[in-house]
Amino acid sequence: MAEQQTEFLWKVGAPAGQGVMTTGLLFSKLCAQSGGQVFDYAEYPSLIQGGHNTYEVLCSNTPAHNRQWQVDYLVCLDAITLKEHEHRLDASSIVVLDPATSSAPTNPAYTIVPLPVKELLAELKASSIMANMIALGASWALVGGDQKHLVELIAEQFGKKGEEVVNLNQNCAARGYEAVKSALPDHAVFAWKDTTETPLVMGGNDAFSLAAAAADCRFYAAYPMTPSSSVLATLAAWQKTTGMVVRHAEDEVGVISEALGASFAGVRACVGTSGGGFALMTESISYAGIAEIPIVIFLSQRPGPATGLPTATEQGDLLFATYAGHGEFPKIVLAPGDVTEMLELSRHAFDLADIYQTPVIVLSDKFLSESRMHLDQTVAEQVMATKPNYGRTIHNPSELPYLRYKVTEDGISERLIPGAAGTYYQANSYEHLEDSHTTEDPTERCRQVEKRLQKQQTYLDHHWLMPSIDGSLDGAKYVFVTWGSSKLVVQQARQLLDEPTAHIHFTHVYPMDREKVATLFAADRHYVLVENNATGQFGTLLRSEAGVDIKHTIHKYDGRAFYSEEIVAALEQHDR
Amino acid sequence: MIDSQPSSLDFTGYTPTWCAGCGNWGIGKGIELALKKQQLSPDSVIMLFDIGCSGNMNDFINAYAMHTLHGRALATAVGVKIANHKLPVLVTGGDGALYGEGGNHFLHACRGNHDLTVIVHDNSVYGLTTGQVSPTASKGKKSKSTPSGIIERPVNPLLLALTQGATFVAQGFTAQLPQLAELITAGMQHKGLSIINVLQPCVTFNKENTYAYYIKNTYKLPEDHDKSNFSQALEQAQAVFEERFPLGILYQAERPSYQDELPQLASEALVNKQRFLNNSALLKQFT
Repeated sequence: MAEQQTEFLWKVGAPAGQGVMTTGLLFSKLCAQSGGQVFDYAEYPSLIQGGHNTYEVLCSNTPAHNRQWQVDYLVCLDAITLKEHEHRLDASSIVVLDPATSSAPTNPAYTIVPLPVKELLAELKASSIMANMIALGASWALVGGDQKHLVELIAEQFGKKGEEVVNLNQNCAARGYEAVKSALPDHAVFAWKDTTETPLVMGGNDAFSLAAAAADCRFYAAYPMTPSSSVLATLAAWQKTTGMVVRHAEDEVGVISEALGASFAGVRACVGTSGGGFALMTESISYAGIAEIPIVIFLSQRPGPATGLPTATEQGDLLFATYAGHGEFPKIVLAPGDVTEMLELSRHAFDLADIYQTPVIVLSDKFLSESRMHLDQTVAEQVMATKPNYGRTIHNPSELPYLRYKVTEDGISERLIPGAAGTYYQANSYEHLEDSHTTEDPTERCRQVEKRLQKQQTYLDHHWLMPSIDGSLDGAKYVFVTWGSSKLVVQQARQLLDEPTAHIHFTHVYPMDREKVATLFAADRHYVLVENNATGQFGTLLRSEAGVDIKHTIHKYDGRAFYSEEIVAALEQHDR
Repeated sequence: MIDSQPSSLDFTGYTPTWCAGCGNWGIGKGIELALKKQQLSPDSVIMLFDIGCSGNMNDFINAYAMHTLHGRALATAVGVKIANHKLPVLVTGGDGALYGEGGNHFLHACRGNHDLTVIVHDNSVYGLTTGQVSPTASKGKKSKSTPSGIIERPVNPLLLALTQGATFVAQGFTAQLPQLAELITAGMQHKGLSIINVLQPCVTFNKENTYAYYIKNTYKLPEDHDKSNFSQALEQAQAVFEERFPLGILYQAERPSYQDELPQLASEALVNKQRFLNNSALLKQFT
């Protein structure tokens, strides 16, 4: 037996419509179920047939936070895959390809293992899409996986479709497995563990969906828009279990209007979208601000402007989210950095929306929404079992006359669920009196403006959280500063760096406590702000909200997530 | 002047600020009559007011209400009704709001047959912004925004509602209060989407579509009009192209409402249901 690997990156590429997402997902599941820690990510162009889809899985025996640059195993189901990703191969890499469809280079700097996919398909009398199962079997043999797990997982995955389908899939996978096994009888394979535990692995959108269901959200509305659409699909599929009503409305203006109506009528409501759809929602966000209607908005960013790169990633809408909506009103923006934070913060977002009766935005991006990673089962259960805090939501007026917009010290007034006998009120988009009737009186206007803005200070005093700090700020050569999904990138980059580093990660990105944040920034430390955008939006926010100016910034805006190796390279370049 | 809430609830709120003779007075009265006739009270009904002169009714009629954004009252009402389908939900707004700014919501609310009653104040102008043309303005109508006359032909609200799937389509005239109140009552009693287009002169900014104009050009639906007959309804709705306006219920059909078709609402209102607790059923999908 050859030496064992502690970590590898596997990647498969194929034309869209060839089922490569299934290959990737099942491969990732096999790794996780066999004791590996996985991080996986799919990339695909904005089309249904053709193009080039890829799925990559980093599998490690320590927690995995990002992909890695070097591809150890590249499985090519078309000729493009090798061409597109050859630059990420090195001498130890193994490439699997079908000589009938891809021409192998004559003197490759890596190992090539032929996999006669076409031939096998003909032999098995299988349709061309079954290449994805041959690839799965071949991949599992490449990394030295136990064939038994492969057989079991396929049975579990396709069981519903009947024995014939299961058998065909198993046969295809077995032939792929055997082909690689015989071509590569002895090579470095991963140190699999015999485990009976099946870890939780999910993407950011999955974690958000779980949070919404657990948070007593009863109404979710959306209009499909990548990369948020899978939340709509997931919550819709769960309706029978959860009892939630999931609406695919006519447009994003309808989406948020419906959600505000549902929220007013007394159910927790949420919408999900990406930048373009969010733009359409902004007038309604302002309505939620003045009428003090709780609403949670899930915004998964993709690169703009306009239609931009629909299936790519970017942290490009932070400032837009922060300042969305005309007029001045409080708003809370949360930016989880991994699936654990996504579950916790999204769950909490519903409480905050009720407590502060104002819009709460949960920011994700395609990288976080669709990257799958581990989430601790106990943590997940605890977060989901947290009892909702509905704030000052009431079902009967505590006194009459009931004043919906009563001016209080903390800015929060009682929100009565409509239908209670003996009173009434309106959720008024006009400036209003305490009893909710319209007013243009300057004194009353100021009282209501101040009441609403007071809620922001109350939030800062009671629920806003300082960024997390990992490592020691003193003595760190670099202090990384991140928000959102850059957390993952920096976590892995720090493992690659030899020098001592620290990491300040913001989740409660807006508003922020100016004085408290400023205490984290000292003139003699070297701060490095890492953002997946071109202009450094969080840097701008830090300057305006905390008076902190970070000079050294690392950006990426080609629509792709950072490789942690790119962070290391950027620092080397900076120091040179 | 701040009115305090009376101990016994009354629909009558602030004194309206509408112009003397404005058609909104009649519609406001018609709504109040219909609500009282059904023995409803301000705490047992939800009203959605759009923006405009009509929307200002938010302070004139007391009820649980949302005074929404312009064009969004109907879409907002869809969410209200899903969250609590046990309460009657009324939507009022102008023709600019319902057929213009919120036109897309109108199409899709008709398709969905949401159990709502929609009262459209159709005066062919934007009154609150001082008289620009609205979607139902006659072709050639001159206004501040169309000094050479509007090029588009008017929206036909009745045909639009009928062809998009509304299951109750009626037209009233603000000067015929008893009939209007009856139409609103019938619309509220109807299960599904009820569209009541109400012809309403704007005495300040519309010198063409006056009371005299409507008295001359409206007509009662013929005695033998069969409101369950879609073709007859379509035929009557087309009279509008000849500036003839039928009054009454053009069409009424039985079709399950959107809320009827949601199994989640079968037992009780969404707002009153028990909280979902079976988290492990969802979590195990990710192992």
